[in-house]
Amino acid sequence: MGFTLKYKDIDEKRDLPSDDYSIKNLLNDLDLSTQSIVSKQNGELVIEETIINEGDEIQLIQIIYGG
Amino acid sequence: MKCTKCGNPHVIIKKEESGQLLCKKCFIKSVEKKASRTIKKEKLLEKGDKVLVALSGGKDSVTLLEILNDYRKRHIIDLCAVTVDEGIDNYRQDGVDIAIGHAERLGIEHKVVSMKDEYGITLDEIMQKDNHRGSCSYCGVFRRDLINKAARDMNATKIATGHNLDDEVQGIMMNYLEGNTDNISKFGPKTESKAKEFTVKIKPLREIPEREIGLYAVAKDLDVHFAGCPYAQQSFRKEVSDVLTHLTKSHPTIKYSTLRGYDKIRQAIGDEFKKEYDVGRCGRCGEPSANELCRACTFLKELDVI
Repeated sequence: MGFTLKYKDIDEKRDLPSDDYSIKNLLNDLDLSTQSIVSKQNGELVIEETIINEGDEIQLIQIIYGG
Repeated sequence: MKCTKCGNPHVIIKKEESGQLLCKKCFIKSVEKKASRTIKKEKLLEKGDKVLVALSGGKDSVTLLEILNDYRKRHIIDLCAVTVDEGIDNYRQDGVDIAIGHAERLGIEHKVVSMKDEYGITLDEIMQKDNHRGSCSYCGVFRRDLINKAARDMNATKIATGHNLDDEVQGIMMNYLEGNTDNISKFGPKTESKAKEFTVKIKPLREIPEREIGLYAVAKDLDVHFAGCPYAQQSFRKEVSDVLTHLTKSHPTIKYSTLRGYDKIRQAIGDEFKKEYDVGRCGRCGEPSANELCRACTFLKELDVI
């Protein structure tokens, strides 16, 4: 079943690579910095250590753009 | 994992520098408390002040407006806002619209001023010129001029800007690396000038990390323009910011210690290096200036606008 990723224009289904796959792992896979992103799991703000579950909607919001 | 303060299991931040975990409610409270502490410690506000917020619509200025509005609700200060339209296509208009929305929501006096109306040229047009000095030089000078004029028009006693901890530390390092002792001696939470035309500037968010301000805006569901200035990638500030971000990974407290260290020597630097300029008048526009032409008019002359 996997989870749904929402980030900027991306709105896609992704597979869960493992049972302990966290938002931090996802950010690493997407090459995104934990410093510039905040994350929501099913609409609620969460920390990056949060484990992603089957059927979750994960929204990533870029809050720092540099400069 | 539970909130270090109240035990709530829904934690939204883990602070790398302290290991502290906070839930949404305690985090929002911690940001507001930190700003209040800076305001009190640095004596940034006085009862009866009319504070002009430099409101771009970005996370920092919208958060600042939100926090200062609490002082307004408690009848400690009056609040107004100004938004500067630098003339950057596909970037600025979204911020302007958001700023207008916040001013209407809170019912505060607000004006939008543009570089095109005031100087006859936009930042985009300047950047098309062969002899430009880089976007940030113009933006800094023209924006300061426009905000200061708005403060006079609106009878504001203070100008509040959304500079956060990251901005402050970048500024300290940039000036130090450039050997700019003049700028370093004037840097700090509150900037006053001998010229009465220059309104006192304050930075209530200077001890709050940029990431926490972004998180605060999202946690409070504030409408914010999350986007990067298209010219920022070219700046020296960006280079310094990248170095600091890299250092923070292995030294999580480095931004705090840089600011604390600077604050400790601030008075001594001011005493040693602060120059007392004679406040004259710009020969063209009449604004206070130590030279024949003020900085804004010097730039306009270079750009063949005047």
